[in-house]
Amino acid sequence: MADGRFRLRVCYRKAGPLRFLSHLETVRACERSIRRAHVPYAVTHGFNPHMKIAFGPALPVGTAGEREYYDVWLESYVPAAEVLSALARSARPEIAAIGAVYVSEHEPSLTKAIAIAEYEVEVEGGDALQASLRDSLVSVVAAGVLSVEHKGKTKVFELATALPKEPEVRSSRGRVVVTVTVRIGERGSLRPDALVNAALTHVADHGRVVSVTRTDLFVEDGGSVRRPL
Amino acid sequence: MSDTLRARVERLLAGVEQPSRYIDCEWGARERPAATYRAVLAYPDVYDVGMSNQAIQILYDALNAMDGVGCERTFVPWKDMADAMRGADMPLYALESCDPVRDFDLIGITLPYELTYANIVELLDLAHVPVRAASRGEADPLVIAGGPCAYNPEPVAPFFDAILIGDGEEAVAEIVSAHQEARAKGLGRAGVLESLSAIRGMYVPSIHGPEMRPITKRVARNLDAHRSPECPVVPYKDVVHDRVAIEVLRGCARGCRFCQAGMVYRPVRERTPDSVVRDAAAALACTGYEEVSLTSLSTADHSMLADILRRLTRRLEGTGVAISVPSLRVDAFSVEIARLLGGGKKTGLTFAPEAGTQRLRDVINKNVTEPDLLETVAKAFSSGWRRVKLYFMLGLPTEADEDLVGIGDLVTKVLETARDVTPPSERGAIRVAVSVSTFVPKAHTPFQWEAQIPLEEVRRRQAVLRAHMPRKGVELSYHDAEVSFLEAVLARGGREIAEVIETAWRNGARFDAWTEEYSLRRWLEAFDECGVDPRSIANRERPVDEELPWDHISAGVSKAFLRIERGRALEGATTQDCTVAGCLGCGVCGTVGAENVLAAGHRG
Repeated sequence: MADGRFRLRVCYRKAGPLRFLSHLETVRACERSIRRAHVPYAVTHGFNPHMKIAFGPALPVGTAGEREYYDVWLESYVPAAEVLSALARSARPEIAAIGAVYVSEHEPSLTKAIAIAEYEVEVEGGDALQASLRDSLVSVVAAGVLSVEHKGKTKVFELATALPKEPEVRSSRGRVVVTVTVRIGERGSLRPDALVNAALTHVADHGRVVSVTRTDLFVEDGGSVRRPL
Repeated sequence: MSDTLRARVERLLAGVEQPSRYIDCEWGARERPAATYRAVLAYPDVYDVGMSNQAIQILYDALNAMDGVGCERTFVPWKDMADAMRGADMPLYALESCDPVRDFDLIGITLPYELTYANIVELLDLAHVPVRAASRGEADPLVIAGGPCAYNPEPVAPFFDAILIGDGEEAVAEIVSAHQEARAKGLGRAGVLESLSAIRGMYVPSIHGPEMRPITKRVARNLDAHRSPECPVVPYKDVVHDRVAIEVLRGCARGCRFCQAGMVYRPVRERTPDSVVRDAAAALACTGYEEVSLTSLSTADHSMLADILRRLTRRLEGTGVAISVPSLRVDAFSVEIARLLGGGKKTGLTFAPEAGTQRLRDVINKNVTEPDLLETVAKAFSSGWRRVKLYFMLGLPTEADEDLVGIGDLVTKVLETARDVTPPSERGAIRVAVSVSTFVPKAHTPFQWEAQIPLEEVRRRQAVLRAHMPRKGVELSYHDAEVSFLEAVLARGGREIAEVIETAWRNGARFDAWTEEYSLRRWLEAFDECGVDPRSIANRERPVDEELPWDHISAGVSKAFLRIERGRALEGATTQDCTVAGCLGCGVCGTVGAENVLAAGHRG
């Protein structure tokens, strides 16, 4: 079978209880929804033929995503809107496709192109939390570096590079919401909950991160940013 | 739907490993909020193992197809989650609705393997349902078991209100209807159990006494009358068997004398190629799976397997969807199938000669000869495989040290055969994995009266085997003999074992089927506390006229036939397969009112 000639970029969400899926589980779920949708997907050559598909940056277990992406190559042209509605019918709403457009074969891969991620971190805590957390975040960012321990390893982030924007703090439905924008580098990116937790250690009111959602992903395009789709 | 419980569950998920075990939302999961009768199917192990079980999918489908009935699933949470749930005083919940399991009308628990018995207690305790049937009241759900281990139900009988012996696909609907009718008549728990006991194949421990006629297993005569689930639930997690599974035949008449499945699943019932291909295609389309497996005790035995494979391969061409056939026979046909299906993948082939000498293979009626095995190995290595796995059993009746030496000799010949047909530059890659388990005598087999050899003797024989096993190119591994010992006790014990199971659980036994969780000491202490001698159950040969704990259960194969087969075993006489040689008088067809069904009309 020939390599697919049509590269379709699909935007999907990973929400509700499905935020607890791992990246591999998410990949498998999306692939299966494509097969269920009877989309004419391309299959790779070789010993182990598989669907030709490439995913954007992985989401950690427990983190929801509102606009995640994959590219899937098709053997024949089907209008993107048609594929989208077939995909939407073929998955649970918590992991459904929400957008699809064809992109040029010359476009860089999603993992290469996506440079910036925006997150919302929801924090549970007392009334005074919003103001104190805002102050604490300012001083954490002002310190310039943050060491984060993950699975026994320590990583040090230069915050001027890791955070293209200052974190923003607001309140919503009785909770404090921190919007964190991070740069995705080749050597990984700063986990937004790590930043918020670092700030929380300096806050007198006991706050607790209750959910993390990646709300958007962006590619950089000559100084400005845009969505991949 | 229990949203408050769901929110509480999600809060726990951030702190446990593999949280996708505990969430619902799978493709194919059914939610039936309007159901007036609610059943929950429970598997006594974690989600990843339970979701690989075909019976769960079949029964889930059958129950949800009933008017007004809603069926959900639940599994045993891993230790971290169970501890977290107990800490938060949260009862076991059903995945789909997140409602507590104790609020359902019926809990159906599978009995897949003896080493899950402690998990039955764990499951009921987490569900806040009294562990003993005798302690349950009118508000408690009915707790019913079924599955392979039901053929000796006594060790777990006190935990269940009723136990189904045999095939479940027809019986489940009858169970639900009987329960509904009995309740509509205003009958209490005792009355409900009385009505359940009228269902064929149903054993109600509180009613059925030893003086009554044996309970004969249920048999689905014609598998084609039951479609394979068109839309099985598709897990997100990579469960143990993560693919569409289509059962192509049930039962096996080869008559291996150690094999319980071969005795209790008789007669052989093949599905037609039409129904296999139709159901495989439908389930693949609905699930989006990348693999379909044609399952059975011995798929290569299907009289029209070549036809099924030809049609399925044609249909799936260019889709990247793979077909797999587990349980290969020791013959060239099986290697040919593996070659056709595997594409370029040559990960390894598995064969089960079971014993090292022809004498012992004749005793166990494993109709495989040394030339068969060597020819198969030659075919595999000349087709490009560089690794085979061979299964053997240690401690089989009449086994002597010569038979263990024989395993070493056979493996040496396998290595030589492999070398002969492998190009010199690739000979370094040749591997023969030898996996040796300990024989466990099982109920309803010709070896049900035999003793399991004691642990010290197992260790001695393992040492003999190791000393005679070639080193280079061989990977020798043993199935834990301490596990096989407990398996033998739980498989052949009587009702006195229930107290031991409960005691072991109270002392911390959970997930005994997981090597790292198993502790023989914990179980020995439980036996001791309950005054039960496990050695007299596992390691004692029973006189053939001794009453056995499972004598009130009939798998259809007569005890007389088992005795004859035992006699033939001790003489080293083999018995043929009745699908090829004609009726041998095992008794199953007459007892259960069924017969061998071969798609091609004949075999061979």
